[in-house]
Amino acid sequence: MTSLLRRRARTDSAEASVIRMVDVGMTYPNGKVALADVSVEIPAGDFVFLVGPSGAGKSTFIRLLIREQIPTAGSVRVAGRELVRMRRRHVPGLRRRIGIVFQDFRLLPNKTVWENVAFALDVTGAPGTLVRQRVPQLLSLVGLQDHAHHLPTQLSGGEQQRTAIGRALVHDPAILIADEPTGNLDPVTSWEIIQLLIQINQLGTTVLMATHNQEIVNAMRRRVLALEGGHLVRDEAAAAYEREY
Amino acid sequence: MPFARFIGFSIVRAWQGFWRNAMMSLAATATVILMLVLLSGLFIVIAGLNSGLEFIESKVAVTAQLVDDLPVADRMQLVSEVEAFPQVASVAYVSPAEAMERLRASYREAGQELDTGGATIRLFASLEINLVDPNAAGDVGEFLASHDDVARVLTKQAEYDTLLGIINVIRTVGLVGIGLVGLTVLFMIINTIRIAVYSRAGEIEIMRLVGASDSFIRWPFILEGVLCGLIGALVTIVLVAIVWDPIQPAMVTIFQMPTAVSARFLTTLSMILLGAGLGVGALGSWISVRSYLSAAR
Repeated sequence: MTSLLRRRARTDSAEASVIRMVDVGMTYPNGKVALADVSVEIPAGDFVFLVGPSGAGKSTFIRLLIREQIPTAGSVRVAGRELVRMRRRHVPGLRRRIGIVFQDFRLLPNKTVWENVAFALDVTGAPGTLVRQRVPQLLSLVGLQDHAHHLPTQLSGGEQQRTAIGRALVHDPAILIADEPTGNLDPVTSWEIIQLLIQINQLGTTVLMATHNQEIVNAMRRRVLALEGGHLVRDEAAAAYEREY
Repeated sequence: MPFARFIGFSIVRAWQGFWRNAMMSLAATATVILMLVLLSGLFIVIAGLNSGLEFIESKVAVTAQLVDDLPVADRMQLVSEVEAFPQVASVAYVSPAEAMERLRASYREAGQELDTGGATIRLFASLEINLVDPNAAGDVGEFLASHDDVARVLTKQAEYDTLLGIINVIRTVGLVGIGLVGLTVLFMIINTIRIAVYSRAGEIEIMRLVGASDSFIRWPFILEGVLCGLIGALVTIVLVAIVWDPIQPAMVTIFQMPTAVSARFLTTLSMILLGAGLGVGALGSWISVRSYLSAAR
């Protein structure tokens, strides 16, 4: 497992930054400015918090990174790929270099833990031998090897989020984006998820976590990107939560 | 190998999708069957009538009764003039004696003996003309009618035109009917696949997020529609095969259709049904996927 993640970390080291945004702006057709003049560089292996009040542009920031949207100004580079001019047929390749988890887990309710993780491999045409090899490795990484055949409804919130994290790591991504991963979890479970994200980060995967959880940001003392009204108002290393809410 | 995995994945997903939404899928399949049964009926009737048409075409197309006691030289002259028409396949001379013999033969066939009551009947001598193109009967007929050596011209044109008219009406009405049913089928399949796409919205979103390519997302839905068409076609082929034995002798007697008995006819019909079923299924699901499965962002 460890070797699998580390091997990937070395291949990406050719390019120092995993994410690079230059003068990025995003104005919606209705005239609403979601992001303006955002320039950010995130080196490989970093652990970064993205904070800011609701409507500050965090969701747009993430949507630009996974190329769900294309910025109206500036350039976005993720895992060595230029996203603005990227052809549609290359988007799936980009998405395999990015793992993403959400507050609401987004698991398939009629599939077991194993099947939810395997699904991400099946739908990208991975051979069965790879699926049988990779899924147990990931379940063991996220600590769910004993729950492989449980349905999401039989799991706690924390276990569901672990399943989602396992699925996000299935293609051994360069970056893991976590959009409010602890938003639906109690404090103890939240810390367990953070511990897992730290462990994944230590194995070489860059982690970008959007959060409102002041306690976690303060305790971790990692780099913080703060958005407000679409502007990047703070980019500080080893920082705490300030007036963002 | 990756392509084989893609095909396998798509077929399995299409099959699961078909049964997950069984009521709609089966309803769509039933309409496919209805359409194909109508298509089979039309195909059989049209094939029969066409065969009847060929039967008429194969008979003498134009008969010219010659004036009495036409000198041989004039007759030869007339024959060569008729043969000069490019649409004429062959010209045969039937002497009065030969005509008489034919008349006797036809009576014998009916189980009677021709009784002339001792009188000598003299029948017309005639030319029997076969045409390459039966539609040219008019031209040849006009030429003969205006010729001094010809007493009367008989053509099969009227008979031919009547049958052709019937065939055209049946074909038009049938095709319009099948077209309307076809539209209903298309609509059913579009709707079935639309529901399938909506019911899998969550899965589709996850597939996009984990980097599934467009083809992995779209083809299972297209194949689900194709599956409706395929199952519909197979059921119809089985139905036609079952009713084939009783209707086949009728085809031969009603339509004078020797080709009806050949296995090729049934194979051709099966191929048409399969093609129509798969075609309507693929078209419907393709339209649905294009309309309701928005392009990957």
